[in-house]
Amino acid sequence: MKTRQKKSIRAKNYANKSSHVCPICCIIPPHMMDHIIMHGNDKMRAYALQTLRSSEQFRGKREVMGNVSFAVSPGQKRRTVYDAAEGETLPGALIRAEDGPPSRDIAVNEAYDGAGATYDLFHDVFERNSIDDQGLRLDSTVHYGTRYDNAFWNGNQMVYGDGDGQLFNRFTIAIDVIGHELTHGVTQYEAGLIYKGESGALNESFSDVFGSLVKQRSLNQSVNQADWLIGAGLLAPGVNGAALRSLKEPGTAYDDPMLGKDPQPAFYKDLYRGSQDNGGVHINSSIPNHAFYLAAMEIGGFAWEKTGKIWYIALRDTLRSRANFRRAASATINIAGELYGQSSEEQLAVRNAWKTVGVI
Amino acid sequence: MEEKSMRITVQRTGGFTAIPITKTVDVTAMPTNEATQLRQMVEAADFFDLPAEIPSTSQPDRFVYQISVEQEGKRHSVTVGETAMGPDMKSLVDLLMKSGH
Ligand SMILES: [Zn+2]
Repeated sequence: MKTRQKKSIRAKNYANKSSHVCPICCIIPPHMMDHIIMHGNDKMRAYALQTLRSSEQFRGKREVMGNVSFAVSPGQKRRTVYDAAEGETLPGALIRAEDGPPSRDIAVNEAYDGAGATYDLFHDVFERNSIDDQGLRLDSTVHYGTRYDNAFWNGNQMVYGDGDGQLFNRFTIAIDVIGHELTHGVTQYEAGLIYKGESGALNESFSDVFGSLVKQRSLNQSVNQADWLIGAGLLAPGVNGAALRSLKEPGTAYDDPMLGKDPQPAFYKDLYRGSQDNGGVHINSSIPNHAFYLAAMEIGGFAWEKTGKIWYIALRDTLRSRANFRRAASATINIAGELYGQSSEEQLAVRNAWKTVGVI
Repeated sequence: MEEKSMRITVQRTGGFTAIPITKTVDVTAMPTNEATQLRQMVEAADFFDLPAEIPSTSQPDRFVYQISVEQEGKRHSVTVGETAMGPDMKSLVDLLMKSGH
């Protein structure tokens, strides 16, 4: 209850703030939709009604899930995987539930295992009970749409496309993609970073960082063993690239005649300032991504143990919805000081990292 | 009506991959069947009367489409997130993504 209230206030603030760009292109709470339907012009009204209709199925489901969660003891991992059978109706047909046998469908098992590995990272390392810290069931839908080149978190569940086969494989193929999508859920319940500009790039970066940590932990890799890639294995055979993004060397993940070249900058001076992609949320995420990588390399060991903890606490306790890179820098530097001591090696490493990428 | 020159461009941005893809079709140069279908879709979507930006619920990693139609010197662009696309607009975009260059 408390969380939901907090969220709607955040959403409203954002709507007011961004009204000069696009009046309602953010998270639209139902009451605002109602307002548009009553006071908007005809076109807006038509689209508000349509959006409302298409979200009704989710809203219904959330209510059902809300009831279910009361019956569940805390700290229990619950997963379900559905099959949309190349349609776009969510969640689709239930294929696998917690403790159910593996499916013959590899995408189902990947979604199931990836959700489990993500739950385990947040639970075992950060003592977080699922996405909402209240044991929310982790729902995933695979085979969404036809040759759909995407994966997303819709506010309630994860959704994965099969890829077109020419450029992209199925999106469950990379465990860090699964961790990435689930982390969007965590961010939604915590910092609520607005999905635009620098706060949006931070939102994306936290998803990449914890997505990579899910992979590293599932493979038991130290900072030196990790590939620091997002989406390794996702590019179809024949595409020239290792992955979609690199935390280690932003801008080097792919360079292909069909896809173009990885546009990610490593340094703040090269920040993308255009309007595409919500102001480059998937482009500029590389700057905080690279800061995390640099801090983790200097701190050493397993990245989720210290560096991951610093970043997690910033996401959970410190950052607010409009945070920019500088705020993320000062938050993580302060937290490193609180956890490991002022002027500790850890705090120094975090400060050096943000300095190197040019944020401070 | 059928003879009017028409070019449609769709640019898809955003998404988890964030790799922009642009497809263009010259409707005038298309086989009659497809051309008629596209013209009807533009008509059905009421395209030239749509606002330049259609509001949509913001979900992380969703696609955003910018559709531009040029017809007899008239040009209009509409930006719409995939969560807000109506069935008419969706079939238009699907067809363009499939048959455009
Ligand atoms: Zn994302």
